[in-house]
Amino acid sequence: MTILETAHALRARKVSSAELTAAAIESIRQLNPKLNAFITVTEDHARQQAKAADEALARGTDHGPLHGIPVAVKDMFSTKGVRTTCGSALFTNHIPDADAAVVEKLAAAGAVLLGKTGMHELAYGITSNNPHFGAVRNPWDVERIPGGSSGGSGAAVAAGMVFMAMGSDTGGSIRIPASFCGTVGLKPTSGRVSRYGTMPLDFSLDHMGPLARSVRDAALALAAIAGFDKRDDTSSRQPVGKYVPDAAPSIRGMRIGLAHNFYMERIDPDAGAAVLRMAEAAEKLGARVSQVRVPDIAALNTAGRVILLVEASALMERHMNQREKFGPDVLALLDQGRLLPATDYVNAQRLRRVMQREFNQIWSEVDCLFTPTTPMAAPRIGENTVQLGDATDDVRLAATRLVRGINVLGLPALSIPCGLDRRGLPLGLQIVGKAFDEAGVLRVGAALEDATDHHRLTPPA
Amino acid sequence: MKDWKKIAEANNLAIPDADLDRIRPSLDQLEATFRPLAASIPHEVEPAITFVIPPEAAE
Repeated sequence: MTILETAHALRARKVSSAELTAAAIESIRQLNPKLNAFITVTEDHARQQAKAADEALARGTDHGPLHGIPVAVKDMFSTKGVRTTCGSALFTNHIPDADAAVVEKLAAAGAVLLGKTGMHELAYGITSNNPHFGAVRNPWDVERIPGGSSGGSGAAVAAGMVFMAMGSDTGGSIRIPASFCGTVGLKPTSGRVSRYGTMPLDFSLDHMGPLARSVRDAALALAAIAGFDKRDDTSSRQPVGKYVPDAAPSIRGMRIGLAHNFYMERIDPDAGAAVLRMAEAAEKLGARVSQVRVPDIAALNTAGRVILLVEASALMERHMNQREKFGPDVLALLDQGRLLPATDYVNAQRLRRVMQREFNQIWSEVDCLFTPTTPMAAPRIGENTVQLGDATDDVRLAATRLVRGINVLGLPALSIPCGLDRRGLPLGLQIVGKAFDEAGVLRVGAALEDATDHHRLTPPA
Repeated sequence: MKDWKKIAEANNLAIPDADLDRIRPSLDQLEATFRPLAASIPHEVEPAITFVIPPEAAE
């Protein structure tokens, strides 16, 4: 069931929040030993919140669609009195004294927090194969990665443990697990959701957003967490939109761009075919699909790599005398960032400005872009390279190739399930929109979801 | 190509040789890709992150 369906059932007294929460706890008990999706389960806290949610509804106090719904947050969102590790040995015993802004807003919306999900160490990677807390596993095939860095959130939602889980996305870390786990994942526009109280990986690329079972569920979550926050210097005063799509959203006349360069190159043929099928579905709904040429996304990705390497290393500099506390892949990235000169960082930020201007010209031709989210389905745990056509690519660079640039531009991007590959593994469609047009990408996503139902596919038992 | 070991030593970074050997190919690849891009940026372009005085500072 989706959040909307469950919200109706809650108000019709067909189910209580306490029952939903008990079922979620039981599901975590059964599945977490296999999937390792949670680092911390806040069972007692969740039962108290659920009881309070039921009592409030009985009194006629209704906090909205998330009221009484079990959710989780990635273990990089600060939770008052609850351990917040960021998947790192540095913070094994870190207990924050305040909630992150997103956690505050979810609580105000009446959501029930089931716990903290597993992640790639420090959110700095895409496998969620964590050296300190163990590998998070993909519910579609436990020998495969769930993606990352929000891998636990992807696995928890895909396995049905919770209705929605929050993730963070610095170079694809919401959209990659959404693609690999067959869930919806939304990276909002830069500044749309407060980063206050999150453990940062980066100053200028971090975004917070939901992973959910449906586009409308992701929209409901965004509606709860979006908005200006004076505690976050990058927070936007742009008014919050109407994010939840109508029952039968129309995309008639919408201009959808399919990039014929870069995004359809060096990808698994199944991923490309799935995106083309979604474009055909959009055309049948009345959208105007056209081929467009995008600017040099490889250059954009390179700027993004330099910015991330330097900003992450600057953040972690004070911990670099504890090399034994980092996993080898994260340490390698942190060392790289320390070796880049300041001039490269400034020039990467200048290149970002150039690319932003060039990319913005696309919006005179189209309203949104369709691309594969990832060039391939989930790799096996421990696989370092992936074969894409004639090329052998590094798994991290391949998985981030189609998503990283969108963080550099700060644009909203939605990943929705678009079918399975020949091995029965999920694939994702990325819908990229104009700055602050979350409502637009969500409307397109919801229309496609209604027309195709890929989001109802669930992992094999 | 840059001598990453000397750069690490000059910056007193204490990165073990084995770790430097492991990251050298990535750094060399990034250097080869980024250098021509950096050279192509028009002179007048400012960085995406700029210092801004918040309005409340004038209050």
